[in-house]
Amino acid sequence: MSSGIDSARVRETGRSDADPLPWERPDEAGPPGRQPAGARILGAGLRAAVLLCLVTVVVHLGAVFLHVAPPNPVSRKYGRQVDAWVFPLFEQNWRLFAPNPDSVNRRVLARTARTAPDGSTQVSAWTDLTALDRAAVEHDPFPSHTAQNLLRRAWAAYVDAFGSDDTARSPRAVMMRKYLGNIAAERVAGHRGGTFDFIQLRVVTLPVAAPGTPPGGRPPAPVENRILPWWKVTPHGK
Amino acid sequence: MGNEQIRALPATAHHRLLARTDALWALLTGRPVSLYATAVLRIGYGLLYLLFLLREFPHRDEIWGPGSPWTPALAAQLFDQTGWYSFLIVSDSRGYFECCYVLALVTSALFTVGWRTRATSVLFAVVVASFHARAIFMTDGGDNLVLLMSLYLVLTACGRRWSLDARRERIRSARADGPPVRAPGPAARRLREARATLTTVVHNCGVLVIAAQVCLLYGSAGLYKVQGSFWNDGTALHYVLNLELFQPWPAVSHLVDQYPLVMAVFGYLTVLTQVAFPFVLFGRLKYPVLTVLLGMHLAIAVVLGLPLFSGTMIIADAVFLPDRFYTSLPPLLRRAARRCGLPARAPRQGTGFVSVPAQGGHPVTRPARGRGAPSPSGPAVTE
Repeated sequence: MSSGIDSARVRETGRSDADPLPWERPDEAGPPGRQPAGARILGAGLRAAVLLCLVTVVVHLGAVFLHVAPPNPVSRKYGRQVDAWVFPLFEQNWRLFAPNPDSVNRRVLARTARTAPDGSTQVSAWTDLTALDRAAVEHDPFPSHTAQNLLRRAWAAYVDAFGSDDTARSPRAVMMRKYLGNIAAERVAGHRGGTFDFIQLRVVTLPVAAPGTPPGGRPPAPVENRILPWWKVTPHGK
Repeated sequence: MGNEQIRALPATAHHRLLARTDALWALLTGRPVSLYATAVLRIGYGLLYLLFLLREFPHRDEIWGPGSPWTPALAAQLFDQTGWYSFLIVSDSRGYFECCYVLALVTSALFTVGWRTRATSVLFAVVVASFHARAIFMTDGGDNLVLLMSLYLVLTACGRRWSLDARRERIRSARADGPPVRAPGPAARRLREARATLTTVVHNCGVLVIAAQVCLLYGSAGLYKVQGSFWNDGTALHYVLNLELFQPWPAVSHLVDQYPLVMAVFGYLTVLTQVAFPFVLFGRLKYPVLTVLLGMHLAIAVVLGLPLFSGTMIIADAVFLPDRFYTSLPPLLRRAARRCGLPARAPRQGTGFVSVPAQGGHPVTRPARGRGAPSPSGPAVTE
């Protein structure tokens, strides 16, 4: 520490303890037993406020703990209260790569269709949307959320809402279908343009080779090839 | 004799309990703890969010704007279901969105430099919550932690150190050096003291919540991993390195992937560190553990292309470093600069980091390396 700072400190706060500040003179209110009512009320209010702070801290940490802990008798009994406290602001998800990291890579592909004026339907080739994301991430020290999270999380949310078939059974499922359709339509339109009013997605799930597999071998066979139904989207390119 | 001892026991226990309660009360109301650490969190998260907003500048409409595939109508529908709110969906116009984006940039910058910090921190929390909620399906763990921290930081007095507020306070107290012209009356004084105490208590509770939140984060992340078969057999990092969206440098990922022994060791180290984290914080072991975590997060930032996520975690860890660590930094940096032959910048009077008057009636900064007189009680200052 330099002497300049020391002298500044001494100058700022240089009064000694024996020399009370003007407003720190011995209490004019007399002995502690005869405090004015206002001071007593203030003291009680302060203690109550401090107690309230402590209780809030304990309740908050308890709720967050029950929220991240595995299901147990306590969280089953107080699940509703915990959810009411934690959602939406204090939601937590610390399951990155846990309990297991994904052992697959998912590729989302899309193709489009348009109805020609003569009534015939023209279908495009498949576009690999995930390949666009991978190209955007490669050699970027600070990848965008639009490349790493947008499509990946939209697909995860779709699977959460739909399960293994493609029938929407909840309002949330309808929303996720709309979202995924919008993403795919905008990606395709941005990538290769063209006019279309229908879109179809295909999700190919490729396993990550087990450790110790020699590199350069045959590409792994997909574990799943899920083809979604055609969806009508807002007409693009018209 | 034995009889007397037995009778004396409850009284001692009672006294001890009273002493404990008094100590707790003193700890809670005495002085705001970790003022430097909360300042580091303020600067860190403000800066990180500013960088995030700037990085996504080309994609801002796609993420938060009216042109997002998660349309304002879908967002509004979800808010009806979940009870969230975002000021971004008030209007669908592009102009309104651009204003909100600029507001977010300015708020993050002002929060970083600590200008009118208490008010700015509230605005920062509102901005982060609104932007988070608008793009809820594009967020990851890093965004989640920034949101939580922005909410918790509202409780803390994070603008008392290393901020424009601290600078203004320093200048003000330097000007008003003489005794005040008129002493406040006893009622006003009591009210002001009560307010200062309450500010201190809320701050200390905020710091406690932040620390506990980080412990819950690491504890749960570690315990989730313990249940995973890949983390058990030491192959987890192989799978992590082969996720195509987390390979900004595929050559590096493939190179590291060729050393299964090293990856098994690092995988185990990750899980052990995370699980141990909440238990080592009260001893000296916390420094090596924090160092390991720092290394782990730097590796995640570079190899997996998750700088934002890693940055939020590194800043969160900073809350566990004591004030004396932070106060010893500026002189160390100055000495290092001098050794490197840089012109030694003599600290101007009143600009040093450590010369902020103590608050809450107690000295806050311990003089680094035992130099300088301990500062006597300064006047209680509230924001």
